[in-house]
Amino acid sequence: MENRPLEYDYTVAKWFMLTTVVLGIVGMLVGVILAWEMAFPAVNTIAGEGLAEYTNFSRLRPLHTDAVIFGFTLSGIFATWYYIGQRVLKVSMAESKFLMFLGKLHFALYLLVVVAVVGSLLLGITTSKEYAEFEWPIDIAVVVVWVIWGMGLFGLIGIRREKSLYISIWYYIATFLGIAMLYLFNNMAIPTYFASGGVGAWYHSVSMYSGTNDALVQWWYGHNAVAFGFTVPIVAMIYYFLPKESGQAVYSYKLSLLAFWGLMFVYLWAGGHHLLFSTVPDWMQTMGSVFSVVLILPSWGSAINMLLTMKGEWQQVASSPLIKFMILASTFYMFSTLEGPIQAIKSVNALAHFTDWIVGHVHDGVLGWVAFMIMAALFHMAPRVFKREIYSKSLMNTQFWIQTLGVILYFTSMWIAGITQGMMWRAHDEFGNLAYSFIDTVAVLHPYFTIRAVGGTLYLVGMFLFAYNMYKTMTSSRRVEESELQNASPMGA
Amino acid sequence: MFHWLEKRPFFFAVAVFVVIAFAGLIEILPNFAQASRPVIGTKPYTTLELAGRHVYIKNSCNACHSQLIRPFKSETDRYGHYSLSGEYAYDRPFLWGSKRTGPDLMRVGNYRTTDWHENHMKDPAGVVPGSIMPAYRWMFKNTADIDTAYAEQVTVNKAFAVPYNAEIPMADGSKATVALADTVEGARASALEEAKVITADMKDQDVKDMVEAGQIPEIVALIAYLNSLK
Amino acid sequence: MNKTVLAAIIVVIAMLGFTYVAVGSAGGMGGEGDWVNKLAVLGAVVLVIVTTFVVTKYVRQMQNDTASGKLADENWDGIGEYKNELPLGWAVIFLGSVIWAIWYFLAGYPVNAYSQIGEYNEEVAAHDAKFEAQFANMDDATLNAMGESIFIVQCAPCHGLQADGMAGKAADLHVRLAEKSVKVAIVNGSNNNLLGTSMPMPDRNGLMNANTNALITDAEIDAVSAYVAGGLKGTAGADVFAGTCAACHGADGKGMEMVAPNIAEMSPAMVDMVLKHGKKGAIGAMPAFTNLTEVQFKALDAYVSSLSKK
Ligand code: HEC
Ligand code: HEC
Ligand code: HEC
Ligand code: HEM
Ligand code: HEM
Ligand SMILES: [Ca+2]
Ligand SMILES: [Ca+2]
Ligand SMILES: [Cu+2]
Repeated sequence: MENRPLEYDYTVAKWFMLTTVVLGIVGMLVGVILAWEMAFPAVNTIAGEGLAEYTNFSRLRPLHTDAVIFGFTLSGIFATWYYIGQRVLKVSMAESKFLMFLGKLHFALYLLVVVAVVGSLLLGITTSKEYAEFEWPIDIAVVVVWVIWGMGLFGLIGIRREKSLYISIWYYIATFLGIAMLYLFNNMAIPTYFASGGVGAWYHSVSMYSGTNDALVQWWYGHNAVAFGFTVPIVAMIYYFLPKESGQAVYSYKLSLLAFWGLMFVYLWAGGHHLLFSTVPDWMQTMGSVFSVVLILPSWGSAINMLLTMKGEWQQVASSPLIKFMILASTFYMFSTLEGPIQAIKSVNALAHFTDWIVGHVHDGVLGWVAFMIMAALFHMAPRVFKREIYSKSLMNTQFWIQTLGVILYFTSMWIAGITQGMMWRAHDEFGNLAYSFIDTVAVLHPYFTIRAVGGTLYLVGMFLFAYNMYKTMTSSRRVEESELQNASPMGA
Repeated sequence: MFHWLEKRPFFFAVAVFVVIAFAGLIEILPNFAQASRPVIGTKPYTTLELAGRHVYIKNSCNACHSQLIRPFKSETDRYGHYSLSGEYAYDRPFLWGSKRTGPDLMRVGNYRTTDWHENHMKDPAGVVPGSIMPAYRWMFKNTADIDTAYAEQVTVNKAFAVPYNAEIPMADGSKATVALADTVEGARASALEEAKVITADMKDQDVKDMVEAGQIPEIVALIAYLNSLK
Repeated sequence: MNKTVLAAIIVVIAMLGFTYVAVGSAGGMGGEGDWVNKLAVLGAVVLVIVTTFVVTKYVRQMQNDTASGKLADENWDGIGEYKNELPLGWAVIFLGSVIWAIWYFLAGYPVNAYSQIGEYNEEVAAHDAKFEAQFANMDDATLNAMGESIFIVQCAPCHGLQADGMAGKAADLHVRLAEKSVKVAIVNGSNNNLLGTSMPMPDRNGLMNANTNALITDAEIDAVSAYVAGGLKGTAGADVFAGTCAACHGADGKGMEMVAPNIAEMSPAMVDMVLKHGKKGAIGAMPAFTNLTEVQFKALDAYVSSLSKK
């Protein structure tokens, strides 16, 4: 055993790869529907008046956010964990029946939760808290899934051969701890059925916190759900896949270290930027603003570290679509982590908050950074997991450009829409009265909503190309030998 | 020290946890007790209003509508007095929202009326040409869940001492009381009485018939809630 | 010039141009002195320039440099790690931002004793000072124009941009009263504070026709409703009006102070009462407006009462 290369067991990784692709398509399809509904409200009744209850914008919106966050992104996080974890810890899942069992149980329960979530959101069972919509029975299931993942994670670390933890592992550990802490606190609620002695819906609950306090906890959670869902684990991915795919060593250990601990320390303090000019105390808002600005640096630390890892390797960026995905991802990461702090400046937020500029910020982050990185990860994993080369490089290139165009259309249109709307809301006329009625500020956005919908549709088209490419890779492309799988992934024309 | 941590996952995890938990304490604890005191005139929701609030949440109206008026002239001109922390004392969950695709609704009860909401929820663009808000026609048929609203009232009354059946000081010096029924049947009956007041101002015959027959459509509860937003 | 730099500059210019055209044309670069708008746009500009600039810098390093440094001993799944120093610019700015943050939070911000409500009060005071002086004595035309602009924001959601009540959803403000409204007022009475007091109009059981010395009949109600809604013209219903209504509303229907409101036309005084007290009638309910200033009420009174005279 010691002398032979390890046989890693990717069973669980494969399953999560599948859910990444499927839930990615579902979630983004819903996003595209939402985008068209905002441009053309008739789309709300696209499946007929009778089904409008389930297809209208407001019922679908939480489904979109939860499908892409807890479906697509989380699946991607789990898939990459079950892949990267074994490799950088130098230990195979196959070595422990118990860990293998945990992994499979993890996946099975995760699927159950997904089904419960989709069903309940369509029925309108939600607590309304953004990114924490699930009612208590699902919350409990989520906690169970999380604990099982944590046991698997620390279990694998426990039996590792590589004593020193690679950077990616730091980030996975932080993801686990961060979400655990946040999720528990934000979802504290009392089930009303039991508290009232059996009256009403059994699944209904009421928040432990009220009003301003509830908002405080929610955005402490919401902001850091972004941190530990859209940033920390995605950084874990890029620290593994970019050096691995390019064959380059990570540029600087010191930079990795400072960026990690800096991010851990600074991120949690910035949640106040979601509550600027609300009824939380001024000092807390100021704290949120100030730490947001500081946050640029630890965020950019990782991005710069990655770009410098590619120092002198321009030919790879130019020739490999897989590297392109990752370089663009880290660029968008820099973009959104500069945009966020700018929006967190109080006077800018006064204008940007509540507008589409925030939605634009969200999507240059999630489309340009999160989704690009996850797709790059899956592209890298596929040949190693299925022992076949990536089906088509040119399809990858096409996908790259279609989706890049999609993101650019998305965020530029929302950026303009947001600033326009914010300015119109506050404009006064020559008499000192409000210059625009609310509907005026809605009507001007129509062209931008349309452009966004087109951009989103392009991105979705890219997702279908991605799924097709993955499917062909899995089923019918050329088989490859272990020796071809050192660095650059083998790709068919 | 870091190299040492990187070889010891347990201590590494503890270190990460300490670093990330710290900010949470500072951010959340100091303000906690203070922020939840109601301002004068803030009343808990009646059964029907609360059922309407559930309809609002069920349909994620908060995806498009905020309930937070920021202290800017342009917002107080449009929506009324800026929001005060204590006004939310009985809001579980809070419904501030984070996106204004539609206008703020914190005080919509001040400047819109039952019949307007009826027309608007049935066909927003018919009332506000160019509106992109979806029509909510099924709310005129689905019945509201009064029992769950009552269960929630009982829960918050027990667990958080939300003052039902108690005198609440109002701005003009008078006292108001929001009743909480002893039984779920009592709650249903009082919700129906409330519903009749709303339906009196409505036009939809099916809705009126349902209420006559003792059923409360979602739209009636929702309007009761919207009217309570002041 | 390097191709990358050129591309970066083009990206920046294109995006800024695009933003300028779109935002500029949306009609609101804000009034002069609205520095918040400008700051937000400036933020957007900084965003593009800094990201493009920094990324360009690293792209050039990818193109021209070679990787170097001392490798660490560890190696994970074939991934090595250099022991390179921190990029100087990054390290300095990080340190600087931390120091700035500590200073700002502990010294800069409390020294200013900032309060968002205080800031709001100043904003309102400045706004009022500016416009109160400007509109102390407005002529009718200005008043009307101002009323129209308030109407579009505050009233159009119910009455429609044309003030026609949108097919019966609210009152058509070009006419004083719809026939249906008159009828309902007679049958049910009216209690809308139209006189500024809670003086009600009795329902049909309190309305005697002096001509017949009997309670008003269904036929009489129909006739007089049509007569009032028609602007008190013609003869049909005129006798009922004279016998039943004139006592309070006056022979010409223009009302009497403290007795009954004007039902012949939309007068500023009557509009003022509706705005301040709201109104609930045959069509539906109109809310009272508590959030407007006296100047704004005056402007709306003038504008709305001018509509029906056109
Ligand atoms: C797709 C976004 C969207 C959703 C979802 C939505 N609305 Fe709206 N809403 C709007 C827009 C846009 C307007 C402004 C135009 C208009 O008045 O129709 C509006 C206006 C309103 C108004 C009028 C407020 C005013 O000041 O004029 C009310 C009340 C309202 N919505 C209630 C609701 C309720 C209740 C729900 C959920 C059941 C809901 N809305 C869901 C977009 C939305
Ligand atoms: C006893 C005095 C009195 C008599 C008689 C009387 N009214 Fe009135 N009327 C009033 C008062 C007072 C009001 C205002 C009540 C309020 O504040 O709503 C009023 C209001 C009205 C209104 C409502 C105006 C609006 O804007 O909605 C109409 C219509 C009206 N009267 C028509 C008539 C007609 C037609 C008759 C005769 C058949 C009549 N009134 C007889 C006292 C009278
Ligand atoms: C929420 C809807 C709503 C809003 C907002 C609204 N109105 Fe009305 N308004 C109504 C309705 C409904 C009526 C008819 C009441 C009735 O049945 O007599 C009415 C009646 C009126 C009347 C009385 C007409 C008459 O001859 O009896 C005037 C005047 C009026 N509105 C002016 C205004 C002005 C000015 C504004 C804005 C500052 C405004 N309204 C805002 C709904 C509204
Ligand atoms: C330095 C890093 C960042 C800072 C300081 C920051 C700051 C902000 C600010 C100020 C808002 C707007 C709050 C409001 O006014 O409503 C916001 C919203 C948001 N950001 Fe960021 N951002 C950062 C990075 C990111 C990244 C990388 C992502 C995703 C990949 C992201 C995702 C989001 C999301 C999803 C929201 C919307 C939250 C809501 O529902 O309201 N952010 N961010
Ligand atoms: C095809 C691509 C997508 C399209 C067309 C799309 C469209 C939309 C739309 C229309 C909204 C509602 C905006 C509003 O209320 O004004 C939205 C919200 C959101 N989407 Fe997407 N989306 C896409 C992909 C994604 C992905 C991949 C993610 C995450 C990984 C994501 C995360 C979010 C989040 C977090 C929000 C809430 C933003 C907020 O509340 O501020 N979206 N999306
Ligand atoms: Ca929950
Ligand atoms: Ca949001
Ligand atoms: Cu945030």
